[in-house]
Amino acid sequence: MPKDVDSDILCFLRKSENGLLEIGYTVRKVASSQPLVSEKISFEVFGSEYSDEDLIYIHKLEDLKKRYTCVRRTRGDGNCFYRAFGFSYFERLLQDKKELQRFTDVAKSTRDDLIKLGFPEFTIDDFHENFMEVVGKLESEFTLTELTDTFNDQGLSDYLIVYLRLIVSGFLQKEAEFYTNFIEGDRSIKEFCNQEVEPMGKESDHIHIIALTNALGVPVRVEYMDRGEGDQCNHHDFPDGSKPGVILLYRPGHYDILYT
Amino acid sequence: MAFHRASSGVSDELRDVNAARWPMGPQYTKQIFHIHELKDIRDANLKVFRDINVDETNILNWNGLIVPDSPPYNKGAFKIEIVFPAEYPFKPPKLTFKTKIYHPNVDEKGQICLPIISAENWKPATKTDQVIQALVALVNDPEPEHPLRADLAEEYTKDKKKFFKNAEEFTKKHGEKRPSD
Repeated sequence: MPKDVDSDILCFLRKSENGLLEIGYTVRKVASSQPLVSEKISFEVFGSEYSDEDLIYIHKLEDLKKRYTCVRRTRGDGNCFYRAFGFSYFERLLQDKKELQRFTDVAKSTRDDLIKLGFPEFTIDDFHENFMEVVGKLESEFTLTELTDTFNDQGLSDYLIVYLRLIVSGFLQKEAEFYTNFIEGDRSIKEFCNQEVEPMGKESDHIHIIALTNALGVPVRVEYMDRGEGDQCNHHDFPDGSKPGVILLYRPGHYDILYT
Repeated sequence: MAFHRASSGVSDELRDVNAARWPMGPQYTKQIFHIHELKDIRDANLKVFRDINVDETNILNWNGLIVPDSPPYNKGAFKIEIVFPAEYPFKPPKLTFKTKIYHPNVDEKGQICLPIISAENWKPATKTDQVIQALVALVNDPEPEHPLRADLAEEYTKDKKKFFKNAEEFTKKHGEKRPSD
């Protein structure tokens, strides 16, 4: 565990033996020494955390090296999917003005969709306006360094994450009839969004990725680097058959950004 | 502690305090957001939550008066404190009762575990008035199934008449004076 850690005290309710709910506290530690979004790093540096004897990972790293040039790490704070997706896509928008125009229109329309679903206008506008302000700067104002700085400013960065989470929640609720089939446990889409989408730090699963890529029309490729059999990483494109510009590396519980 | 009761609207004074403490930047936006939210709640002119005071040196500390409209708590009023963490709105505000209350969901220190503001469930897009509404709903309608005081929850469940009598007496003794209007 790095020395520089933030302790985050969580209050929770749990059932005690006599069936009553009791209040308790737990401490979650988040490494704050890791930047929210790192500089580009080589596979040599990236791979240095694995032992030479860890053959599964060594082989899979070799496989990645054949297809990709470098990686950007994101902080493992439970928001990594959104942060990796947001940064990688915005970085691409700096170069692609036509896509930026399309995205600006889509992003603008998400606000009304959320209001129609009954989200409070007052707070939605706050997050929406901040999000659109950053999107607006991608047109000509931002350099890559400024984009990186924005994503590494905890406040600004988290504002963007909140809005991406709201987009996912809005999309799932709008398409509730379909997505309700994919929710585990006995909960409604609304409950799922309240518990697993909107709160900060809640990790993302396939359903979140599908919702975000569909809501924004931005395809994503995920390369899976896990202990599964084989010398190669498997990948999956969301949606199937698309040509994603955003490529993420998934290692169990975490997403980073890949570059071709 | 000196509290400044700002007149309705965004007071220049608060804005000055703010500008001095938080130079331009996201935090500044956040503070302005905060003042607007305060104005919004004041403008709503709720009968059950009123007399909202803001600590003039720290706009992240609010005090207010809960004035319940159903028995047994309608014999008094209750001061509450709302503290917004520096990381607000990414982390939830904390609510504490400053007036003693005979309630299964509030412990002796005034702490209350309201699901809407638990660190686990907090949603950054939650408005403060939704938090207050949830609190008022909990005060008016105790949830003995999630008690912080098991003794009161048991009394509430087994002998509601006795609970109401005790809670009413307790409110008369320890509660704040209800506003006359």
